[in-house]
Amino acid sequence: MALFKKMRALFKDNGCNECYADMDVEKKQLFMFPAMVDHYTRHEEAEYYLNNLIPVSKKADIPTGVYACGAIKYTCPKCGHKMVKLSIFLPVRDQEKYEDAIFFNNGEVDDLFK
Amino acid sequence: MEKIKKINVLYMLGYIFGPIIISAICFGLSAAFFPKGNMAVILIMGPTFLSVGWWCFAGNFIFKKTRKKILAKFEEEKFKSDQTFFGRGCTVYVDEKKGKIGLVFFWNPKDTFIIPASRVERAWVDDGKSGAGFMAGSSRVSFLFIVDGVKVRVDTFTSNQRWRMDSDHILTGISKADMMVEVIEKAKKASK
Repeated sequence: MALFKKMRALFKDNGCNECYADMDVEKKQLFMFPAMVDHYTRHEEAEYYLNNLIPVSKKADIPTGVYACGAIKYTCPKCGHKMVKLSIFLPVRDQEKYEDAIFFNNGEVDDLFK
Repeated sequence: MEKIKKINVLYMLGYIFGPIIISAICFGLSAAFFPKGNMAVILIMGPTFLSVGWWCFAGNFIFKKTRKKILAKFEEEKFKSDQTFFGRGCTVYVDEKKGKIGLVFFWNPKDTFIIPASRVERAWVDDGKSGAGFMAGSSRVSFLFIVDGVKVRVDTFTSNQRWRMDSDHILTGISKADMMVEVIEKAKKASK
C-alpha cells in the first residue's frame, strides 16, 4: 500500500511527499517567464525564479512567443507540508504547449506569492 | 526604389549547373587526353568531390556571408535588429522602433534589402492546416508578407511528416510565426 501511495505521489502533482495525501491548492499566480519561443532552458535554482518571473493577471498580458509560468502553492491538510509547483508553458493562441514542471518543497520560492 | 528580388536566376543556375558543366569538361578532357593514370583519376574524382562539397556547403557559406553583409549595412544605417528570424531560404531582420525590415534570400546573395516596413502590404500566418476533426494536421507552418506585390514566405516549421495541430512542433511553429507577424505589424506602425 505504501508503494502505491508513493507511486501516486510521484505521478500526481498534488500528492504530498511526506504523507502521500492529496494536497490543497493554497494560492495560484501566473507569471511571464523571460524566454522566447524555442529558447527555453531549465533552471533548478529558486533564485532564478525569484529574480526573473514577472507577475501578470492573465495570459493575454504575455507577449506572443514568450513563455508563461503558472505557480501553484499546495498545502497538505494532513501533515501541513507545503510545496510549490512551477509549470512552464508556451501560450499559443487558445492552446498551451507544456515545457517543464519544477517543484520546490522547502519554501524556496514562497516569496513569489507575496 | 529597389524592388525585392527573391531569386537571382543566373546565380541559381550557376550554383546548380556550374559544377556539372565543369565536371563534364574534366571528364571529356580525361577521356580525350588522359584515359589512364594519375591525371585521369584527378580529372574524374577531383571535380566529383568538389561538386558534392559545393552543393553541400557553398550555399550556406555564401548565405552566411550575405547575412554578415546586411548586419554591417544595418549598423552603418544606425538600425538595430530587435528580432531576427533565420528561415531556410530567407532571413528577416526587423527594427521595430525605426520601422525597418532587412531581407536576405538564399537564392539571391548578391542583393541585400533594407526597406521601410510601411512597404509591407500585408503580413499573416499560414498554419498549413488540412483535414477535418481529428484528422486535422499540417507539415508546414510559415509567416508570409507582401512587399510591393512580391510575396515572401518564411517557414517556421517544415517536416516530411504530417503532425497533429496540437503537437509541440506545430504549436512552436505557430508561436514563432505569430510573433514575427506581430513584430512586422509593430514595425509597420512605427514606419508610418
